[in-house]
Amino acid sequence: MAVVEQSVTVANKLGMHLRPAAEFVKVAGRFSSEITVGKDGQWVNAKSIMGVVTLAAEHGSTLTIRADGDDAEEAVAALLECLIKKRKEADA
Amino acid sequence: MSGDRLLRGVGVSPGIAIGQAVVIRWDLPEVTRGAVAASEVEAEIRRLHAAVATVQTLLEKLRHRTAERAGPEEAKIFDAQILMVEDPDFLREVETLIRENQLTAERAFEFKTLEMRALWSQSTSPRLRQRVVDLVGLQVRVLNQLVGRAVESLLHHEARRRPIVFTRELSPGVTVQLEMEHVAAFASEEGTRISHAAILARSLGIPCVMGLVGGLDRIRNGAEVILDGGRGTVLIDPTPAELAEAAEREQRRQALVRELEATVGQPAKTTDGTTVALRGNLDLPDELDGVVEHGAEGIGLLRTEFLILGRTEMPGEEEQARFFTRVAQRFAHHPVVVRSYDLGGDKFPAAFRPVPEPNPFLGWRAIRVCLDRPEIFRTQIRALLRARRHGDIQLMLPLVTGVEEVERTRELVAEEAAALRRAGIPAAPDVPIGVMIETPAAAMIAEELAARSDFLSVGTNDLTQYTLAVDRGNARLAGRFTSFHPAVLRLLKQIVDVGRRADVVTSVCGEMASEPVAAFLLIGLGYRVLSVAPPALPLMRWLVRQIAQDGAQQAAHDALAVSSTAEATRALAVGLARYVDLDLVDVGRLPADAPEATLNRHA
Repeated sequence: MAVVEQSVTVANKLGMHLRPAAEFVKVAGRFSSEITVGKDGQWVNAKSIMGVVTLAAEHGSTLTIRADGDDAEEAVAALLECLIKKRKEADA
Repeated sequence: MSGDRLLRGVGVSPGIAIGQAVVIRWDLPEVTRGAVAASEVEAEIRRLHAAVATVQTLLEKLRHRTAERAGPEEAKIFDAQILMVEDPDFLREVETLIRENQLTAERAFEFKTLEMRALWSQSTSPRLRQRVVDLVGLQVRVLNQLVGRAVESLLHHEARRRPIVFTRELSPGVTVQLEMEHVAAFASEEGTRISHAAILARSLGIPCVMGLVGGLDRIRNGAEVILDGGRGTVLIDPTPAELAEAAEREQRRQALVRELEATVGQPAKTTDGTTVALRGNLDLPDELDGVVEHGAEGIGLLRTEFLILGRTEMPGEEEQARFFTRVAQRFAHHPVVVRSYDLGGDKFPAAFRPVPEPNPFLGWRAIRVCLDRPEIFRTQIRALLRARRHGDIQLMLPLVTGVEEVERTRELVAEEAAALRRAGIPAAPDVPIGVMIETPAAAMIAEELAARSDFLSVGTNDLTQYTLAVDRGNARLAGRFTSFHPAVLRLLKQIVDVGRRADVVTSVCGEMASEPVAAFLLIGLGYRVLSVAPPALPLMRWLVRQIAQDGAQQAAHDALAVSSTAEATRALAVGLARYVDLDLVDVGRLPADAPEATLNRHA
């Protein structure tokens, strides 16, 4: 059991709009850990599309991913990768 | 006699349909049952899951069908709702509400979505605010499912014989969800003949009545009805005699249609030898075949908004160039006039819906958007320049009010042409630029605009709306929206005269040109190029071949001489009645206040 937390800047030019949010939620759903994602002190369940969309994370805002559970390490890594991958797409 | 069985609206797409009413209620039901006994809580939760599963299946089905019929991009409008309905976290919260407060499934769901809506609508993020539409859509579907009122009745009644669909409003979003080809006719409480859905119904040849204020509550699901898209009426529970009369009327209409078919391939020339060029307006790509089959001499108005509607991102240069090329190749010897994005008002892509404006039709739209967001415009210009290698592609600017807009567009075109040349991308060095005359401002400075343009084209809907200060989408004002108002007539005359003097092609591409009486007027005023919705092409060709130019000119002269709309309308109707049976060519489209007796009895 571990709690892992890491912050990242939203790279997608359009922010965490529906599509990237959906992918983010899908990735989060693969892990058993409890995962929350926060922005400016507002925390939501990373496995809920409604929650993640509610964050309205614009391009350049900072998201913090926090996972609590057996696969916390992997979960945070995968979610970070998901956001970084988006960055590559946006740069391309 | 038929008294309260007869509903009156505005006929927006002609034809008579006899069929069964399917009432689609796209609104939120009232949730009356609030609480349940503790013992029923688990049953409520099962009910919630069952309803959600049904809605989920339905949405998947809709997405699949839309993808098949309209393409993957259009199908994306369902993505948001599908994702939301699948959200386990959200459902768990609804479950908790049911469990802890002993609420009914519908009350708990309503509560939770309202909470979400409040949160999202207050957000500073425009992107989040625009998701509210999807949330409400989901709320409508799930709640209706829970209270036992099916929303997508049409899908549940596939077996129903010739469904006639009744809805509150036919927004582009709703129309795309309906299976147009299986629908015998449409009717809605809101909307007018200029609404997007009305134009769509006309282009698909489906009878449609709009502006049936209060009609939805008077029609029960499954009732037999006669819908007359010419007269703008709906008759509920018709008697055998009424059914026979409707069938006979439809037969006469179809006889005319057959006569029209025989005209295809014949020149659009008046009996005294004046030739009129008939072009087609293209709204959706799948209408292209129809335009070609009906013998259109090019495209007078290629709308590009469909490229965007229902999409999340702006279409790229490649996609647009491919589409424009495809259209141009179908018309080897005729122009294809592409209107730059006419965004704003009721049309905006999901990609960049702006802050809602109090007066969208006087707001940020059309050429204003194109020039303020040049990156969008430049992409379109590059696509046009590339496609022009394959045909006579021309660019038309909507809602122009000043010469600067034309001059600025010329600069953009020159810059993009140079950029393409530098990049070694094959493209035409230039593209003819025309101005849509659809504001009184443009009409007043038509001479200056003509001096800077390659052609003029009158957009009659907007010109009428802006001249008369009548919102074309307001059902209550439908009777006041008429292009036969003396002010509009005089502008139309002024514009065609300027065009003749400046020696630039001056066409009419507004909906008006598809109406027989209006087309008669336009020819009489001196317009020689009319662009109409594809299904109207045969009627227009037939009409031109029935009339004499000198008679049209006389009628136009008479209409210009009088001081009221009613007198002008009468002058034109009387003039046209010398050549054709007005009852047959669908006078249902004339203004409601025009004296019917005069119009109908001149055959």
